[in-house]
Amino acid sequence: MSSSYLLRRTGYGLLLMLGVVVLNFLLIRLAPGDPAVVIAGEMGGATEEMLESIREEYGLNKPVLTQLAIYVGNVLQGNLGESFFFNQPVSKLIADRIGPTILLVITAQLMSIALGVFLGVIAARKPNGAMSAFVSVFATIGYAVPVFWTGIMLIILFASSFPIFPVEGMQSVKLRDAAWYVQTIDILHHLVLPAFTLAIIYLAQYARLSRASMLEVLGSDYIRTARAKGASEKSVLFKHALRNAALPILTVAGLQFGNLISGALLVETVFNWPGMGRLAFDSILRRDYPTIMGVLFFASAMVVIANILTDISYRWADPRLRGRS
Amino acid sequence: MSALLAIEDLRVTFNTRYGQVTALDGVSLHVNAGETLGVVGESGCGKSITALATMGLIPMPPGRIAGGSIRLEGEELVGAAPARMRGLRGADIAMIFQEPMTSLNPVFTVGAQIAEAIMLHQKVSPDQAFKDAIALLDRVGIPSPDARARDYPHQLSGGMRQRVMIAMAVSCRPKVLIADEPTTALDVTVQAQIFDLLNEIQRDFGAAIILITHDMGAISEMADRVAVMYAGRVIEEAQADDVLDFPQHPYARGLIDCIPALGREDHALREIPGVVPPLHLLGAGCAFADRCEHTNARCKTEKPLLAAHGHHPAACHAVEEGRI
Amino acid sequence: MTDQTTQSSYKAESPALEAWRMFRRNIPALVGVALLAVIVGATLYGTFFYAGDPFEVVWAPHEPPGVTPDFPLGTDYLGRNLMAGMLTGGGPTLTVGAAAAAITMVIGITLGALAGYYGGWVDNLLMRITEFFQVLPALLFAMVLVTLFSPSLWTIAIAIGVVSWPQTARLTRAEFLKIKELEYVTAARAIGARNKRIIWRVILPNAMPPLIVSATLTIGVAILFEAGLSFLGLGDPNVMSWGLMIGANREYILDAWWPVTFPGLAIFFTVFAVSLIGDGLNDAFNPKLRER
Repeated sequence: MSSSYLLRRTGYGLLLMLGVVVLNFLLIRLAPGDPAVVIAGEMGGATEEMLESIREEYGLNKPVLTQLAIYVGNVLQGNLGESFFFNQPVSKLIADRIGPTILLVITAQLMSIALGVFLGVIAARKPNGAMSAFVSVFATIGYAVPVFWTGIMLIILFASSFPIFPVEGMQSVKLRDAAWYVQTIDILHHLVLPAFTLAIIYLAQYARLSRASMLEVLGSDYIRTARAKGASEKSVLFKHALRNAALPILTVAGLQFGNLISGALLVETVFNWPGMGRLAFDSILRRDYPTIMGVLFFASAMVVIANILTDISYRWADPRLRGRS
Repeated sequence: MSALLAIEDLRVTFNTRYGQVTALDGVSLHVNAGETLGVVGESGCGKSITALATMGLIPMPPGRIAGGSIRLEGEELVGAAPARMRGLRGADIAMIFQEPMTSLNPVFTVGAQIAEAIMLHQKVSPDQAFKDAIALLDRVGIPSPDARARDYPHQLSGGMRQRVMIAMAVSCRPKVLIADEPTTALDVTVQAQIFDLLNEIQRDFGAAIILITHDMGAISEMADRVAVMYAGRVIEEAQADDVLDFPQHPYARGLIDCIPALGREDHALREIPGVVPPLHLLGAGCAFADRCEHTNARCKTEKPLLAAHGHHPAACHAVEEGRI
Repeated sequence: MTDQTTQSSYKAESPALEAWRMFRRNIPALVGVALLAVIVGATLYGTFFYAGDPFEVVWAPHEPPGVTPDFPLGTDYLGRNLMAGMLTGGGPTLTVGAAAAAITMVIGITLGALAGYYGGWVDNLLMRITEFFQVLPALLFAMVLVTLFSPSLWTIAIAIGVVSWPQTARLTRAEFLKIKELEYVTAARAIGARNKRIIWRVILPNAMPPLIVSATLTIGVAILFEAGLSFLGLGDPNVMSWGLMIGANREYILDAWWPVTFPGLAIFFTVFAVSLIGDGLNDAFNPKLRER
C-alpha cells in the first residue's frame, strides 16, 4: 500500500473534521437567541458576569469570521470549551468517557460481524433451507426492533428471571479496588448485555448480507475451480468463498460505524454505561452545548478513523485495489 | 481393450421451473491413455454437463445422475463417496475451464493457487509446493515464473491465466485432463499457443485429454477421435479424420461445412439454420429434426440410435435408410 | 429503446403493472400491508371507539393489564391509561416517520440527481458534502438539531430528514449514472429536450423502482429515529408518543413490565410491517433476484 494514499486519506479525514468544527460553530450561531446564553446553557441561569467571560473567550463581540477563527483555533489546541453544567473542561469529560464507548462499539461490531457472517455462511450453503428462512426473518425482525427497547426487555429478563448478567453500569462498586484482572472480568461481565443489545440489529443485517454475498460468490467460476482441484467443502466455503464474500461485508461494516455510534448512544442510556452516549444524553437534557458539540466532534472523529481503517483493510483484502488510488 | 475412462449410458436430469429436464440422455464415451478425444457440439448440447459429471461437480440439487456409469480404470465414479471424489479431482482427473478471466480466485496469488492444488494431493511442505508451482509455471511457458507466482490473477493477461490454469490442472499429473473450451475466450494467436502447449503437456505427461469445443478447427488440430453431441446425446463418433472427411449425421455435416478457411474468425454454427431446442421441449423424435433437410415422418416420432450404418457410427434415420 | 420516449405512457405502465402482480402474490408483503393498515387505522380512528386522555392520571399507578376492563392495557407509573397512550401515541410516530421520509427523499433525490446527471465539479462538490454528512452520527446530529431548534413534530421531522438523506443521494446518483448512458436519454437529448426535462421527466421515472423501495425502508428508519428521540425525551413534550411512553416508564421497568412492553411492540410491528412491504416491493421490481 502506498504511503501517499494513506497520507491523502488522512488529510481528507482531517478536512472532514475541520468541517465538523465549522458546523459546530454554525449550529451555535444559528440557534435562536444570544450565543453566549446558548453556550452557557439555558438551564444554567448564567450570571451576567459569566456571559461576559464567555463573550470574551469566544470573541463573540468580534466579526463572525474572527469568531470562527478563534473557535477553530481553540479546538486545534485541544480546547473544546468548558462545561458549565459539569464544571469541567469538555475535553476532560470526553477523555474520561471515550474509552467505554470505544469498548462497547468495537465489541458490538466484532460480535455482530462474527456471528452474522457465521449465520450467513451457514444459510448460504442451502439457499432454500430452514437456516436461510431463519436468517431472512431474523434480519427483518432485527431491523424493526428499536434498540433501546431490546435493551429494556433484556434488563427485565436478566434482572429478575435470569440474574446472571449485570444490567447496569460498567463496574461493580465493591470491585473498584480489586486486582486488575478481576476488574477486567467484571467489566467484560457488564459488557455482555449492552454489547449484545447493540449487536443484534447489525448481526441480523450482516447475516442477510453475507448470505447474499456468499450465494453470489459460490456461483462463480473460481469456486468451481477450487472444487475441481479437490478442495474440501470447508475450504471452499471458508477459504475460497468467504475471502471474496467478505469484501462487501467490509464495505458495509465501515458504513455502519456511524449508525453503531448512534445506537451506542441509546444503549448507553438504557444500561447506564458510562460512555459518551450517556454524556450526550445528560448534556442535551441540560442544554450544555459545549459538551454536546464536543461529543459530536469526537463521535465524528471516530467515524472518520473507522472509515480510514475500513479503506485500508479493504485494500489489504482485495489485491485488485492495491497500488491504485 | 478397457478404456482409461469409460462413460456408459449416462443420464443426467435437472429440476427446473419447467419441470424435470433430461440434460444427458444416455451418453456413452470413452478415452484411452495418451489419446485426445474431441467432443463437439453447440452450447447447450451437454458437453460441459458430461465433463462436470465426470468430475463429480454436477450441482445436486437441482441436478441428478439418473443412470449409467462413469469408470476410471475400472473404478465406478457414479455414486462414489464425496471424499473419494475429492481425492480423485485434481489428482487423477483435472479440468481446465473456458473462462480464464474468472476461473482463478482473485484474492490469492497464482502461485498459492497452484501450490494449493499440489498440497491437496501430495505430502509436501508449503515451501516445496510453492517451488513446484514456480517450476510448473516455467513449464507452461510463463516468463519469469518466480515473479509471476507472486502475482494476483488480475495482473496477468487472459492467455497467461489460461496457462496458469493448465499448470494447476497438470500439477498432480492427472490421468485424464478435461479441457472445456479452453481457448474460446482467448485471441486467435493465443489459441494456437495454448493448443501447442496442451499437445506438449500430453506428450510429457501422457495424460488422456478430453477436449470440449464447438470449434471444428480445434478438433482437426488436436483430436484423435471425435464424438459429436446434440441435445444431450452422442450422435456421431469416429476417428477425427473420418468425421472430418466423411461426416455422416446431417448435423455433423453442417458443422464440417462451416469450418472457416485459413483461420478466419469462426462463424461456425450460425450457418446451420435454427438453434438447439430447449431441453424441456424435446419430443419423441430426433432432436435435430426441426433443423434438418432430410426429415421424414419417422424422424419426428422415433429417436435414432447410434449405430454403424454408413462409414462409421451415427444416430440418424436418414443415414440408416440410405437417404443421404 | 427509442420508442420509450414516444410511447412513454404505455411503456411506463406495463412494468409497474407487472410489479403490482408480483407484489399481490407476495404473502409476507400482504401481511405487512394488512398489519400497517391495522396500525394506521387504530391510530386514525381508535379514539372514536376508545376515548381517553393519555396524559390524564385516571387510576392507581401500575395497574396490570387485563385486570380493570376500563384500562385493558393497565396504567403506567403515574396511573395514566396505557390504552389511550397506545392509540394516540402512533400519531406523532407515523406522521413524523412519513414526513421525515418525504424530506429525506426530496433532499436525497435532488442532490443525487444533480450529482449523477451533471457529473464533473457538481458531482464532486455534492459527493463531498454527502460524505461529510455521513461522518456525523445521525442520531446524535438529530439530537443536537432538535435541541437547538426546540422540539416539535416539524423540527423533529426536518432533523431526521437532514441526517438521513446521504444514502438516498448516493442511490439516486448511482441510478442516474447508469440510466443517463442509455439510448432513450440520448434520444431525448437529440430531439432537443432541456436538461431539466431530461432529469425529471426522462431519467427520474426510470430510476423510481429502487427509490421507491428505499423510500419505504427510509420510513422504517425514520420511525425508529422518532421513537429514539422521544425515548430520550427529545420529542414534542405536549404529544404522547410510543417512544415517550417507553422513556417515561423506563425507570420503573422492574416494577412493571407492561408500560414499556406494549409501546415497544407497537413500534416494532409498525417498522416490521413497513419493511415487509419494502422487501415485497424490492422482489416485485427485481423478479430475477427471487429465483436465487
